[in-house]
Amino acid sequence: MLGEFEYLLITAAAGLGDRAYGAPIREEIEVTTGRRCSIGALYTTIDRLEKKGLLKTWMSDATPQRGGRAKRMVRVTPKGVQAAKDFYDAVTRVSRGASWVVNRTGRAS
Amino acid sequence: MTSTHWPLVEVAARLLERDEREAVLGDLLETGEGAWQGLLDVLGLVVRRQLSHWKNWQPWLAVFGLALPGSLILMGVSVSVSSMYERLIDHRILIGSSHVIHEVFLQLLCRGLLLIGCSWACGFVMRSLSRRTLWVSSASSCIACLFCLVRFREPSLSRLCLFLFLLPAIWGARQALRLVRINLALAIFLAIAITTLMILPSNSRGLWTLNWSLVWPAWYIVATAQGAGRTVGRN
Repeated sequence: MLGEFEYLLITAAAGLGDRAYGAPIREEIEVTTGRRCSIGALYTTIDRLEKKGLLKTWMSDATPQRGGRAKRMVRVTPKGVQAAKDFYDAVTRVSRGASWVVNRTGRAS
Repeated sequence: MTSTHWPLVEVAARLLERDEREAVLGDLLETGEGAWQGLLDVLGLVVRRQLSHWKNWQPWLAVFGLALPGSLILMGVSVSVSSMYERLIDHRILIGSSHVIHEVFLQLLCRGLLLIGCSWACGFVMRSLSRRTLWVSSASSCIACLFCLVRFREPSLSRLCLFLFLLPAIWGARQALRLVRINLALAIFLAIAITTLMILPSNSRGLWTLNWSLVWPAWYIVATAQGAGRTVGRN
């Protein structure tokens, strides 16, 4: 089972597709959650997920942008997609009947 | 990112591995993060990386099983070798029988070889066990050296005598850095030689039983060379 931050990272990377690397993933997480995402948390989580086989990373060629620094590109593996689906399903199931869910869907009795 | 503070961030990023350094510095440049925030980010990642190494047992063994006790014991052996050398060049012994000189010389040779072998093996294993935490192991060794240096009270010997083990230990550590593979036969020869040399002088008064703890690094080299298809284990 994924952790919350792991799920956020996989979802952000999957959404970014071919443009998924450190800076945009971090920005996506920060914009979505409204919380600061440290580089330390981001890269250690990427490493952990890669070790679990949920992500694949590789270094891109250096480009003149970013001061000629290479990017660490990220791709979500099929196993990562499945893990994210499982997490989402679990959160959805466990949230059924929760007051905030009921209130949001406007189906409160 | 202000250009004046950028070098600070780059210096901190040197503590990261090359690829990660590239990616992180590029990300910071791209997002235009503030200098201090960027520095904190880099240092935060460095701390996380360093801490993650300590989840393994190897760095712990390198510090508490090798660097600290090994340095202390090897300093003892260094002093023992120096004392023996001093005895050999002492004129009172030189005027004695050639049998005594021969015996002292033989003992000195054995202990000298033992010191070199054990120090080399300790340096080699310490480097193999703590590739990414070598600075902690080295610092632990330095603390042990400082402790002995402060407490050293032997008027006839120079304090430098304590550190005879350092050169072969550094040589061993450098070899571990360069050698991906070590010859199994050579490892066995080294282990047997150290064990034999340890047995020989232990019959005399100089060496004490704790010195036997210096033997395990040599056998560790044999075990890892054997277990990993003649490849020395690396952390």
